[in-house]
This record gives sequence, C-alpha cells and structure tokens, in this order.
Amino acid sequence: MNNPHVLPSPPVAHAARAHVGRWSQFPRLLHFAAEYLLLLPVGAAIALVWANVDAESYFRIVFDLNFFVTDIAMVLFFGVVMKEIVEATGRGGVLHPWRRAALPVVVAGAVAIVPAWMLSATAPMFGEPLVTWGWPAVFGIDIAFGYFVAMLIFGRHPVVPLFLLLALASNALGFAALVPHAISTQLQPLALVSLMAAAMGAAGVLRWNNVRSVWPYLVVGGGLSWCALIVGGVHPALALVPIVPFMPRGTTDPGFMVDAPADAHDTLNEFERWCRPPAQAALLLFGFVTAGIPLKSLDWGTLSLPVAVLIGKPIGLMLGIALAPAFGLHLPHRVGWRELTVVALLSTIGFTMALFFATVAVGPGPVLSELKMGGLWSLTGALLAWGAAWALGVGRFARHPPDARR
Amino acid sequence: MAPGLLVNAQQWAIIMSKILCTLLLVLASGPTVAGPSLTVPNRPDTFKFAVLGDNGSGDKGQYDLAEQMIAAHQVFNYGLVIMLGDNFYGSQTAPELVRKFDRPYKPLIDRGVKFYAAIGNHDEPFTINYPPLNMAGQRYYTFVRDQIRFFVLDTNVMDADQLRWFEAALKQSPEPWKIAYFHHPLYGNAGRHGAAIDMRVLLEPLLLGYGVSVVFSGHDHVYERLTPQKGISYFVAGSGGKLRKGDLVPSPTTAAGFDQEQAFLIAEVATDELYFQTIARTGATVDSGTIPRLTRPVGTN
Repeated sequence: MNNPHVLPSPPVAHAARAHVGRWSQFPRLLHFAAEYLLLLPVGAAIALVWANVDAESYFRIVFDLNFFVTDIAMVLFFGVVMKEIVEATGRGGVLHPWRRAALPVVVAGAVAIVPAWMLSATAPMFGEPLVTWGWPAVFGIDIAFGYFVAMLIFGRHPVVPLFLLLALASNALGFAALVPHAISTQLQPLALVSLMAAAMGAAGVLRWNNVRSVWPYLVVGGGLSWCALIVGGVHPALALVPIVPFMPRGTTDPGFMVDAPADAHDTLNEFERWCRPPAQAALLLFGFVTAGIPLKSLDWGTLSLPVAVLIGKPIGLMLGIALAPAFGLHLPHRVGWRELTVVALLSTIGFTMALFFATVAVGPGPVLSELKMGGLWSLTGALLAWGAAWALGVGRFARHPPDARR
Repeated sequence: MAPGLLVNAQQWAIIMSKILCTLLLVLASGPTVAGPSLTVPNRPDTFKFAVLGDNGSGDKGQYDLAEQMIAAHQVFNYGLVIMLGDNFYGSQTAPELVRKFDRPYKPLIDRGVKFYAAIGNHDEPFTINYPPLNMAGQRYYTFVRDQIRFFVLDTNVMDADQLRWFEAALKQSPEPWKIAYFHHPLYGNAGRHGAAIDMRVLLEPLLLGYGVSVVFSGHDHVYERLTPQKGISYFVAGSGGKLRKGDLVPSPTTAAGFDQEQAFLIAEVATDELYFQTIARTGATVDSGTIPRLTRPVGTN
C-alpha cells in the first residue's frame, strides 16, 4: 500500500538513473568536482599562502579587487544557484511538489537556530564575544561540496535530496538573516523599491512576450536590479536572484547541478551555459579575496564557529526531526537516525556559503578573519560525515545490501 | 633573680609589643607606593593624560599597576585615561565589571579622572554602554581636549560605515594635534600577534593624509614604541593588566620595548611636543621621550 507520507526519490541526476553501483558514478562526480569544487579551494590556498608571506601586498590587491569580486562577479554565481533553485522548485524538480520540501524547510529552521544560539555561547567561552556578530555564517551550508560528499557516501538514496533541500532552505534563511547586515547606513528605500520594481517589471514584460534570448534578461533586468541594490544601499551580489525566475525554462529538470542535454535551448539553460565559466572564475576570485588570513592574527575565537555548528547542527537537526510529526511531516523511506546523523555532519560544511555570509555580515578585521577561518575549518565536517557513515554502517559502508535490510 | 633584670625583661616585653603593633599596622595599611620620578616636564599649562591597554584582567598585575597610576597622579595631575581595549577579560557580569574596573581605579575616578575606552576583542559588546568607560554606546567616536582631537576606533570590525565616518571626522578636525587609538596595532613586533596588516592597509592612508601624529594600540601584552613609520609615532601598550613576558621580538623598527612587567604611559602635550614616560608595575621608568607634532599631513607640501 502506498504511504502518502513516503515520497518517491526525486530526480537527482541522469547518471544516477543509468547506473546502480556507486563506483560507476565516480567519473561524473569527478567532473562535478572539477567544475564546482576545485576552483574556490585553489583560490583560497593561493590567498592563504600569499597572506602569510607578504600580507601587505595581498591586502592591497584584495581591497582593490573586493568590490569587483563580491559585488559584481558573485552576482553570476548566485544567478547560477538561483537557476538550480528555480528548476528544483518547478514541475519535475527536486523540490516539487511543495510537500517534498516541507520537512527539510521545517528542519532547516532548527538546524539554523540552534547553532546560532550556540555561537552566542561558544564565542564568549573562547574569550571572543564579538565573534557573535557573524552569526549568519552558521546558516551557510555549502551545497556543491555537501552534495559531492553525500553522493560519494550514499549514491542514489532518498537522504541525498533531503540534504539538498535542507541546504537550500538553510541558505535561504541565511540570506534572510543577512538583510539587516547587508543594509548599510546609506539605505535609500525609495530608490531600492522603485528601481527593483522597474527591474522585475522589465523581466516580466520580456517573459510575457516570450523573449527567449538570455541577454535582455541579463542586461536590462539584471542591470536594473543591480542598480536598485547598490543605489538602494543593499549588497548587490543577489541582483540576479529576482530576475532568473522570469527566464523561460524547459519542461524537465535534468537534476541538481547536472548539465542539461545539448538540445535543451530554453533560456535558463542557455543562461547557465553562458554563465558557468565566469561564475567559476568568480568562485576562484572569491576564494582568493576571502581566504587570505594571516595565521598570527587568529585567536581562540576561531574555534567558536566550527564548535557551534559541529554541536549545534546535529542537535538542531534531531530537534527538527522530532518536531516534524507535529506538523504532519514524516521522514522519507529508508532514512533513519543513522542516515540523519551523517546528514547533520554534512550540514556543518559551511565553506563557500559561510565565507560569503561572514563577509557580508561583518566588515574587514580580526573578527571576520576568525569567522572565515572557522568557515574553512568547517570542511572537516566532510571527514566527520565520512567517518560517521563508516562507523554507523550506512551508505557505501552498509553492512547489508539495502534490499536485504528491507 | 635581680630586680634590675626583671625591669629589663618588662621593658623588652613592652618594646617587642610596640614593634609587633607597628608591624601589624604597616601590614594592615598595605604597601605604600611612592610616585615615580618624572622625566616629563610636568608644566602647569599643558594637557596631561595617561594611556592604558589590555588592563581588565582583575588580577594582581592590574591592581599593582593601578597603584602606580594612582601614585603617578599624585605628582602628575592627569585628567584623562585613554584605554586601548580589552577593558575586561573573561566573565563580564556586573560584579566582575566592578572588580576589573571600578575597584582598582576608584581613587582616580574619585579624583575626577575620566576614562575614554576603545573596544577590544575580549570585550563584551554591551560594555560600550558601561558609563565609566564614556563610550556612550558607540563603537567609534571622537572627542576634543584642549587642542587635541582624539579618534577612537573599533578595529575588530572596520566596516565601510566606520571608514567613511573616520575620514569625515578627520576632514572636519581643525585641531593641531590629532591622536588616534584603537585595539589592534598597525605596526608591532610582538611574537604573538604583531601588526594587523589588513587594518594598516585600510587606515594608514587616512592617518597620513590628515596629519595624525600619534597612534596608540594594545592587543599584544607588551610595551613597544616603534620608530616613526612614515612620520607617525606608534605605541603598543597592551600590558596594562595582562602581560606576555618575553614576547617582544625587537626589530629595526623597535625604538624601545619592555615585556617584563605591566606598564602604562603618562603623556603631556605642549604646543608642538608630546612628552611621554612609560612606567612599569615596579614604578621604574622604562621609556621616555618627546614626539613632535606633525605640522602638515605627511606627503603634502
């Protein structure tokens, strides 16, 4: 009998459908890693070395580059992320129908709030109370990195889309938490609202007239939106977020962060094809401008963020799962506490998103350095998740084949 | 027994009891700290202030140095103490604030000395509202005494708003003396932290462009005076309570340094000179000198 609360596995990837064994997914995952995961760490590694060899020249370059990277280039990265969200929430997507998203969204609240509260305890405990100013950083979950590790551990398993939804929801909450930080004292509400209305109106007219070229959306809609945010006094990295949903899309979702077929010529996919190389360059530069931290400048406060997320997120996730039945929500089939433990550890990988949230929330200085180093250290969540999966015997480390367990 | 011997024994008992009483009285009244011998001119018409950083440990080192500050005040009547951040370490409950600030400096506060603090990395954010620190709820602010404009910055987070404010405040300042102080040093040779280079890249152009003569910082728990950097005199005075003994690694940019005891500075500003004297926990003078006022922004004609 069909259980109405048990959701079918959403389409995670083409390749996953074609291959049953997890090892057979490695070439595709390696391709994914090369495209999404390597560039930012490369930029971060260069920055770390440079900042500790010749800090003055590093910071002179970074403060000159900073506006170009975080306020202009990162617009493209978040545009690509928004494209994935639009496809995932549309018909046939990972987040469609809404019931599928409800559980992770509810859980994301707890996963975000508990570590934020914990940061307010750990920062004073480590003698650096001002680190609490960077609390939005705890909301960040690196979707690409987490997805990569989740696929390595679980392959095609319902817990992977659960993790993706959780990450998307937590990051969405992070953006909401940034609003008061992103707004400077230069806030111009009238300019912001009127220009943004013009931007969205222009994108709406383009969609109404079924314009399929990506450029009018980017140049007119995106340009106006960027102007709205920068003139209005709000961080402009999200300029494409309100514009991308207006772009016409295909009828199917190829999967999360999976290349569309070559014959897919809908506007969203054209946008991604054009946007991906510069977005990857943006990630490389973002790693370079954010991760250069002179190690001598760090104090114990650096530990505040990793400790808060490593303890807080698993507690938050379990709390959220415990509360879910009160909302009539249930876990997907084949997802138990052991899988959830691994997901909780995966959700501690803040990396790109933690770096971005911290950078927007807190200005340059030692507090930001400690938060950013905490964000880099959160990569250890991948190792912990891998170790937990091994210890608990889930995913690729399952002691019995999934069919036998059932 | 001879009567003379008995009298002698009684006399000895009386003498010994007097000595004991005197000793007890001395012990009960605590150590008396003599004021330092001054190397600064101590002229009646100059503006006098003291500099104290990283003081809020609440331990004996802080209390001993506070005694020296009180003793110095008896001979050098400063009316202002600038605090370089880390005004409180560890627990910052109301009784702890009293233990780490009000109690050690009570004699100075009672004599009308005003403290103006910068915020350090160990300070709870709410302490900017602690009335004795005179921050009026501001992370960064400015004030004037005589012909001296003090700029107090929060180098924990140097956001764009603060930088804009600092430049505007510098631009509007007509005072001949401009002194900036904040927690993280732009130059320094301590082993633990050293210079905050990112802050230097952000702040130095403004300090140079608008003629700031002197910069005081803390953070590293040593005393160090740097050779003038691009014309500006920099001090690290982060041993007002906490001390990291032996942490100073002198380099050619070190003009003077002291990392064996807690220390604070007294300073007085005449028309075109700032005289300073650095006093250690023992009362010894460990550095002194004169700094000329920058008559125009460095790099301008």
